[in-house]
Amino acid sequence: MESFRQAFELLFPPDKELLQIIGVTLRMSFFSTLISCLIGLPLGALIGSKSFRGKSFIKKLIHTLMGLPPVVAGLIVYSLFTHYGPFGKLNMLFTVRVMVIAQVMLITPVVIGLTSSFIESASKPVIETARGLGFSGLKTARLCIGEGRSSLFSVVLNAFGRSIAEVGAVSIVGGNIQWKTRVMTTAIMLETNKGKFSFALALGIILLIIAFIVNALASFIVKEVRDD
Amino acid sequence: MIEIKNLKKYYGERTVLDIPELIIKDGEMPALAGANGSGKTTLLKILGGIIKASEGNLSLTGNILYMPQNSYAFRGDTVRNIMISGADRKSALELLEKLELSHLADKKAKSLSGGELQRLSLCRVLSKKCDLLLLDEPTSACDAKGAELVINAIREYRNECGCTVIMSTHSPMLALNASDRLIILNAGKIESDGSPGETLANPGSQWAESFAAGWKI
Repeated sequence: MESFRQAFELLFPPDKELLQIIGVTLRMSFFSTLISCLIGLPLGALIGSKSFRGKSFIKKLIHTLMGLPPVVAGLIVYSLFTHYGPFGKLNMLFTVRVMVIAQVMLITPVVIGLTSSFIESASKPVIETARGLGFSGLKTARLCIGEGRSSLFSVVLNAFGRSIAEVGAVSIVGGNIQWKTRVMTTAIMLETNKGKFSFALALGIILLIIAFIVNALASFIVKEVRDD
Repeated sequence: MIEIKNLKKYYGERTVLDIPELIIKDGEMPALAGANGSGKTTLLKILGGIIKASEGNLSLTGNILYMPQNSYAFRGDTVRNIMISGADRKSALELLEKLELSHLADKKAKSLSGGELQRLSLCRVLSKKCDLLLLDEPTSACDAKGAELVINAIREYRNECGCTVIMSTHSPMLALNASDRLIILNAGKIESDGSPGETLANPGSQWAESFAAGWKI
C-alpha cells in the first residue's frame, strides 16, 4: 500500500524528475521500435515469402538472436562505442542514441522472426489464392499486409513492450545518468540497490500504467482497423 | 493441350507425385480422385504454377486460374466489393445470384459460413476468363444444395468459354455429374484413367477397385 501511495504522490502533482525519466523512456522505446520495425518488417516479409538457399540457417540464426541476452547486446554496443572502439570518435556512449542502437540490436531479430513466421504460415492461403487469381506480386504483397495488419501490429507492440521493459543493455551503454539517460527500468534498479524497495515498486507501478496505456491505445487502433 | 512427361515432385526423400505420361485435351473436364495424400493437390498446384515440379516436362499454354481448397476470401471486405474488384467476365452480381449469395452481398465475408465462403471463392474465380481452370475440391465445404449450385456453375462456365477444367474431389456427385474423365491417383501415381462410368466399372487395379467400390452409389 505504501508503494501505491508513493506512486500516487509521484504522479499527482507530477514529479519533475519522474516526468523527465518517463520522457526519456518513451523517446528511447519509440525510436528503437520504429527503427527495428523499419528494418525487421520488410526483412521478415522477405524471408517468410521467399524460398532460397540457406533460408533454414538464417532462420536458426534469427531464432538464436531472438534470445540474445540484453547484457551481451549491451556489451557489444559498449565495445563498439567506447573511447577505443571503432566508433569511439563519435562520442555517443552514455547517450540516448546509443541506448536506441542497443535496443535495435535486441529487438530487430524479434521483429524479423515474428514477421517471417506470420508471413510463412498465416499469409500462405492469401498468397496461394492471389496467385491462383493471377494477381501481380505487388497486389499480392498489398493483400498480405492488409489481411495481416492486426498480426503485424501485434509484432510492433511486442517490440515496444520489449523495449520499454529492457534494463540490462540500456544500463551498460546509457550509464543510468540522472537527467540524461535514466529510464524507468534503470531507475527502478537503482532504487532497489539503494534499499528503497517501496519507492522502486512505486516506479514499477507507474511503468506498468504507462505500458497499459500504450497497449490500450494500440488495441483500440487495431480494433478500429479490424472493424474498418 | 496439356502434356505431362515424367513429372515428379519430391518433398525431402518422399515422392509425392510420379506421372510418366498424361495428356489432357483442350476443353476436357477431368476429375482427379484419390485418397488424402494421393497427389491431387500437388498436381493442381504444379499445373497452376503455384509450386514447381522437381523434375519432368510440362507443356501448357494460355491463361490459368487456380482455386485452392481453402481459398482465402479476403474477409475484411463485403461480398459485393470482393466480387466487383477485378471481375472481367460478366456481371459479378449475376454470378452471386446464380450461386444464391446475392442476399449476402452487403455482408462482410468473415461472417459467411464455410460453404458460403467456398461458393464466394468460386464466384470470384468464375468472374474471370481463362483457358485452364483448376479447382481443388470445390464442393468440400458445401451441403448437397450448395454442391449442386457449384456443379451447375462450373458446367455453365465451361460451356460458355470452352476452357479446360480440372478439379480434384472426394465427391462422387461432382466427378460423375461435372466431369467427362476420371483420373484416380494413389500415392502420387495414376491408378486408373477413363470416362467416369467406365473407370468405376473397370478400375484396372486392385487398389483402384477397392477405391471405386466406395464410390458406387
